[in-house]
Formats: sequence, structure tokens, C-alpha cells
Amino acid sequence: MLSGPAAISIRGLTKCYGKLIAVDRLDLEISRGEVFGFLGLNGAGKTTTIRILLDLLRPTSGSAAVFGHDCQSDSLKARSAVGYLPGEMGIYSDSTGQEMLSFWERIGGRPVSSEHRHNLIERFELSDRDLSRKLREYSTGMKRKLGLIQAFQADPLLLILDEPTESLDPLMQESFYELLADSRNRGRTVFMSSHVLPEVERVCDRIAVLGKGKVVLLSSVEDARKLASRRVRVTFQQETPVPAHLPQGCEMIDASPRTWILRVTGQLGSLLSFLAALPVADLAIEEARLEDVLVKYYRDGAQ
Amino acid sequence: MTVLFALITQALRRVRKFLLAAGVLLAGFQVVLILQANSIQASNSFAQMADLVPSFAREVLGPSFVAFLTFKGIVCLGYFHPVVMGALVSVCLTLATIPVMEIETGFIDLVLARPVARHWIVTRSILVALISTLYLLAMMAIGTWIGLNQFAAKDAGWPSAGLVGSLAINLGLLMLCWSAITMAIGCACRRRGSAGAIAGLLALTAYLTDYIGRAWKPAESVAWLSPFRYYTAFELVTGSALPLKSVYVLGGVATAAFALAYFLYSRRDISH
Repeated sequence: MLSGPAAISIRGLTKCYGKLIAVDRLDLEISRGEVFGFLGLNGAGKTTTIRILLDLLRPTSGSAAVFGHDCQSDSLKARSAVGYLPGEMGIYSDSTGQEMLSFWERIGGRPVSSEHRHNLIERFELSDRDLSRKLREYSTGMKRKLGLIQAFQADPLLLILDEPTESLDPLMQESFYELLADSRNRGRTVFMSSHVLPEVERVCDRIAVLGKGKVVLLSSVEDARKLASRRVRVTFQQETPVPAHLPQGCEMIDASPRTWILRVTGQLGSLLSFLAALPVADLAIEEARLEDVLVKYYRDGAQ
Repeated sequence: MTVLFALITQALRRVRKFLLAAGVLLAGFQVVLILQANSIQASNSFAQMADLVPSFAREVLGPSFVAFLTFKGIVCLGYFHPVVMGALVSVCLTLATIPVMEIETGFIDLVLARPVARHWIVTRSILVALISTLYLLAMMAIGTWIGLNQFAAKDAGWPSAGLVGSLAINLGLLMLCWSAITMAIGCACRRRGSAGAIAGLLALTAYLTDYIGRAWKPAESVAWLSPFRYYTAFELVTGSALPLKSVYVLGGVATAAFALAYFLYSRRDISH
């Protein structure tokens, strides 16, 4: 990890709307150079947290800092390091894409390299003709591409992306993942919310799952995947009776005379020892999916 | 300053067609009034018009009644005709609710996610209101100038440049006052529609309060609360100088309301 204060540091952050607690004593620290997935069901508090980081919302209590700059008292410095893609782009339909990019550049406080911008435009396959069209003629996907370009164009140290691949076609999603990988390689920090769990599994180093404003899971993607149960299919050389007791962490899902399908949580060692005494013909282990773990945490967080 | 300039040009670019149309209509209205005054003057009908007005109305209007039924009075009517006042206040309401509209549409999220201080948004809106006010008043004055030079007889009794200037200054202060009040209301609202409706109703109430206060003595006790009371068009037409009280009151209300807008905008949550 790179040196210096954390890219994002959140301490006891709480945001209430009347009696509703949107974010509840949230603590989070995101290191420089990390790609961090911020997950949760709708209304879990993800967007509220992001908006507090950008000083769009004021916290009820607690604090948040970006690269050591408090997001309220020193918010201009905090925001000068950020590129932001909102979940919903508020843009005026009577402006052209080019006009909006120039406007965002002028108020951005960081110089935009025309070469870098051109690369982004090429990567997302927007032509000069597209950029000279009014935004009312843009499709939802094109608006998303424009949003990504404006977020990345000043090459900010921290990217805060709210549902970045929503409305993007699979090819553009690939382009986005490549861009994210480039940014990570250049030491940029990414803080992204997403509902697309395979995407999170693919691009994020660490994740936090939010439920009712609280962190219900904070883990590296690798560690989270280990929490998932795996499906194991065992085929026998001959008919084998189902035992009364299975090793700890194993659960029988389906059993026929020559085939068992089991769900195994944790390590496989005890199951393999158990099977050693049986006439096993074949063993198929399904890779654990992060999605299976997260869905469980989503459910737990919602309750 | 680059940021402020970018914000102002972006806002003006968005309203340029609206402002252009409003300016042309207001200038055209001045020309039409001058044509009308010219026509009445040519047919020597000012005296006949005065005879048609009931005596109680003459009493209410006082000496301004005499001044009003002249070529000069009809020309100056372009600066306090209810249609003109309504149009100008509507422009103020439209422009002063831009900050709340930007919150409602989410446009401001992408602006304030950058190192742009919130006070720049209010400052930008004040400057846009000021520029628009100056532009509209200039268009009205140009309309008057064109109308007089192209269509009016030289000996028709034109209003002096000083009178037109005083009317424009007084009207400009009134417009800034409503811009400021609307902006303060907008900074406390979540929806542009709500802010516009509240400010519009307030302006209508204030206008009627002033109107009734001029004609009905008991209503005078509350008429001083209306900013329209400090737009002294009739007095100016009769030859009075622009009262400093009007300048102070309208300027003071505008300053206080703009300060309130700064305060409210700096403290509010930006959520749509």
C-alpha cells in the first residue's frame, strides 16, 4: 500500500433523517491504492455515506476524511482529490457532451490532459460526433459513458463510483474493468458501490456490506469467498448407503444410490478423510462464489 | 474566479433564449405603449380620457392622475404596468429558483463533488439575477428610446432620461428584492415548484396589499410590509425624486434575503 493518510477514513459516522437512521456509527478505513466495494441492498446507507464524503450531506455525528482532509471542515481539499460518478446523472439535456466535459474541466480544479481525455473517449467508443450532440439525444448507456469520462478525466487520486456499470453493455463493462485495472496500477483508489456481485468479485480487493446503515461484513474478497459453502458432487463405483452422520460442516442436499451432492462450509479436509474409506469414483467441487456469501449477509442485514 | 466565471457563463447560456425572448417582448411593449400614446396625443384625447375617470378614482390617484394622463405618463406606464411587473417578477422567480432546481435535478451533485465552495453557487445566482435585471431594464430603456425616436413627435412631451433612469433604478431594486426573497425561499426548499409557488403567492399577496393600501386607508397599516410600496412610480412620474427610503428598504431587504440564502444554502443537505 502507498504511504500517507488513508484514502478514506470514516469514524462513528451517523446520519439521521428524523427518526430514520440512514447510517449508524459507521467505521471504515480504505487504504491508498485499494479498490473497495461498498455493497448493500437499496436503502442500506451506501449513497448517504458517499454523499457525506462529498459534503453534499452533513452527518448527524461522527466524521469522514479523504486523504486526511475532513470532509466537512476541509471539504474543498478533500473534494479536489475526488472523481465522482453519481448513481443518477443530473445533466441538462440541451447541452452537448463536449460542453459538459469542458464545463466540468473548468470547475474541476485539476488540469485535464487532452491525451488522457481522448483515451477515455476512445475507450468508451464515443465519437466526436456523439460529443457534439445534445444530451437529449443520448441513450442511457451513452450518458453513463459520459459520466465515467467526467469522473476519470482529471485522473483523480480517489474515484467514488456509484453503480458504475449500470446501463453499460458487456463490451463497455469490459472497457470499464480495464480502465479500473489501469487506475489501480497507477495507485489510484477506487470506492465503488455495486449490485453486480460478479463484478465486485472480479475487481475489488476488499468489500464492506452495509445493512440498515451498519457494516455487517468487512473483509477481503478472498476471505469472504472462503465463507461461502461449496457444492461437492461425489460419484461412487457402487451403491453406497447414506450415512447417519456426516463430518462437521457438511450437509447432504441430494442423495441417490451412486451419487451424493453435499454442501460443505469451510475446509474440505474432514470430508475427504471421510470419503477415503468409501468407493469413490469421481469428485466434483464447485468453486465457492462470493455471491452466495453476500446474499446471506444481505438477508441478515435486512432483518 | 475561473470557477465563478464558468458557473456564470454556464447558467447564462442555459437561460439565454428565455432572457432574449423576455427582453425583446419588454422592449416591444415599450414601443407599443409609445405608439398608443402617440395615437392618443394625435387625436387630442387625453382630456376626454380624464373626463371618463370617476371622481373617487381621481381622489385616490391624486396629482399623479393628472401626470399619468399625458404622453409622458403613458410612456412611463411601460415601467409599472401590471403586465410588465408580473413578467419581471416571473423572470426573477425563474432565475432565483435555479439553485433549488439544480438540487432537484441532481446537476449540482457533479458540481459540488468538485472543489467548488457552496457560496459560489449562491454568488453565481446573485450575479446572474443582477446581470439579467440590468439586461432587461436596458432592453426596456432601448425600447423606449427606439419608440420615442422613431414614432413620437418631438414636441409630444417626452419623459426625461432622468425620469426613465429613476424608474429603471427603482424597478431594478424591486426585482433584486424579489430575486433575493425567492432565492432564500428556494434555499430552504427541496423542490423548485414549491419554492416558485411560495414566492409567487407571496409576490401576488404583496402586490395586492400595496394596491389595496393605496386605495383603502385601513389597508395602509399593513401595506408598508409590501416591497411594491417602495416602488414609487407614480410619484416619480409627477416629478418627485427617487426617495432614498425606497432605495434603502429595497436594498436592505435584498441584502438581508441574499445573506439568508447564503446561510441556508451553506447549511442544507443537498439531496434530491
